Amino acid sequence: MNPAPQSQLLIDRAQVSFGGFIAISDLTLGVGQGELRCLIGPNGAGKTTALDVICGKTKLSAGEVRFRDKPIHRLSEHSIARAGIGRKFQVPSVFRELSVRDNLYIGRSGQPGILANLFSFGQSGEKEEIERLAALVGLQDELETPAAFLSHGQTQWLEIALILAQNPLLILMDEPTAGMTQQETKKTAELFCRLRGKHTLIVVEHDMGFVRDIAQTISVMHQGKMLAEGTIAEIEANQAVRDAYLGSGGIGHA
Amino acid sequence: MPVQGKNKVSGKTKLEIAVYAAVCLAILALPLVLHDAFLLNKYARYLVLGILAVSLSLSWGYAGILNLGQATTFGLGSYCMAMALKLKTIPIHTGADGLPDFMVWNNVPELPWFWKPFYSMTFGVAAGIVVPMLFAALLGWFMFRGRVTGVYAAITTLAAMVVVQLLIIDQQAYTGGFNGITDLAQFDVAGFTFDAYSSSSYYLVAICLTVSLFLALAVTKSKTGLIVQAIRDQEDRVRFFGYDVALYQIFIFSVSAAIAGLAGMLYTIVMEFASPTFLGVPLSLSVVIWVAVGGRQSLLGAMLGALVVTGTQGALSESETFLDSWTLIMGLLFVLVVLFLPKGIAGAVEKLAGKFGHRRAAPVPPPQLQPQRTEAVANTRHAESLS
Repeated sequence: MNPAPQSQLLIDRAQVSFGGFIAISDLTLGVGQGELRCLIGPNGAGKTTALDVICGKTKLSAGEVRFRDKPIHRLSEHSIARAGIGRKFQVPSVFRELSVRDNLYIGRSGQPGILANLFSFGQSGEKEEIERLAALVGLQDELETPAAFLSHGQTQWLEIALILAQNPLLILMDEPTAGMTQQETKKTAELFCRLRGKHTLIVVEHDMGFVRDIAQTISVMHQGKMLAEGTIAEIEANQAVRDAYLGSGGIGHA
Repeated sequence: MPVQGKNKVSGKTKLEIAVYAAVCLAILALPLVLHDAFLLNKYARYLVLGILAVSLSLSWGYAGILNLGQATTFGLGSYCMAMALKLKTIPIHTGADGLPDFMVWNNVPELPWFWKPFYSMTFGVAAGIVVPMLFAALLGWFMFRGRVTGVYAAITTLAAMVVVQLLIIDQQAYTGGFNGITDLAQFDVAGFTFDAYSSSSYYLVAICLTVSLFLALAVTKSKTGLIVQAIRDQEDRVRFFGYDVALYQIFIFSVSAAIAGLAGMLYTIVMEFASPTFLGVPLSLSVVIWVAVGGRQSLLGAMLGALVVTGTQGALSESETFLDSWTLIMGLLFVLVVLFLPKGIAGAVEKLAGKFGHRRAAPVPPPQLQPQRTEAVANTRHAESLS
């Protein structure tokens, strides 16, 4: 379970406690550049907390997080984002009162300063990129629609497109297919497989069919700790994982 | 900034600019048909309050920061202008050695240091904008760095206003206390005097209104304005894109304060005095009502809301029939607007325009999954934004 030395992201013996309750203890996780890592585990295993720790939403009580060999766990959220980490939330989180186009324009956050943005009007120079992203997630006909009117699946996709607009090196996805139809889930899997390599992805998922479609390496968490790590076959064969999470059915049938 | 030539302004924005320009032109043209000096002064006063409403719309409607102390910055601007205008009356309304009269009465031996720069009118005007801005930036820095939002931010702004008002009342020797600063000179620029009861002051206010409106409009149409609205919708989402949320909030809060400060200065010019009631709770809460009635997510709507409400209020309170009941009528009006026009007059107009305009676009697809949930979220959001 020792992380490879070339890890782009390294969580090193991390501990998080919420007023005495230990959500994560002694968690170590390394993810290499361009890798697509699935993070699975039963409810309360600390998967979302692990993502929160990476993006700065939750602060560590011990241990450290390193990104491209620099410690980031003491940085503010926006500094972590600027370092190249994007986060998709479990409950789809978009700007409901703004149009899909404006949503994507805000996602293009390469220039986060106030003054520069004060003199940017009408998606200056970003129009094509915004339309390309909308087409990528099938929202090209909804560009002027306020995000509040999108269906649940479309909202999920919009948030995924927002992250792609941000174009981070590392993308954290928290249950990206929750509430999606099977068809939509399949399309999402295809999209993720295309992103692999260009971006590093960490995906928390409960949908084992989806995990089977996209996963290279799977990390299994249980009670705030790393339980196992390996390929689908290795994880399926792992007795501890079967006991804690998968049951006897294995991945894809659980 | 690289300027992209094509399609920079959408059709909707063009229409918006046209409507804003038409309203401003109508306001600017009023003295051509109206020559009553008393009425011009009264309307100039309403327009000043319109500017104040624009400033609140910027922070409440666009950034979601309900500032219950918007009058603080308004009052600070007003006092800056009053101090400069007071020192211009020397030696008429001053003691033998050039002290303002109320200082003489309070046995202040010499002009305090913070009054001295106000000998310069240029300094006075600059201070009327910069002081409110700095005040808002400081208060904003504490609030937004500490992630104080919603109701808590509203209460903080209200409390801050009460403190500043008490301070002004308490420091009677330096501020004129309860009486405020009265007996002022008339504002003049390069020898031209703006008589409060004349079209010149009206034009001054109308031009400042036009400038503030378009400045605020430009801010809301920029990417910064868009990000500010995004913060109102989903603060965390914006943060995790790498934008410094607190900095954006401080920025919009300060711009709002600068516009309120400008309004305060104009108010002193039009009213010919400054008073601690300008930083009072009643005025501050009235601004909230004007903006709610007009539509807080429309700068023009908020401005017109101020004109409609203060105008109606003025008319009702001056007529003998409603002498006793006008406050009740105003209260009823407000309740009706909140109940039936949650987005104010501007929202209603937009809705009507959408119905009558020949929009052939496909109807908006209904939310397909979990409609109850979306609705519940929308309701809580609405409740939150009202609270």
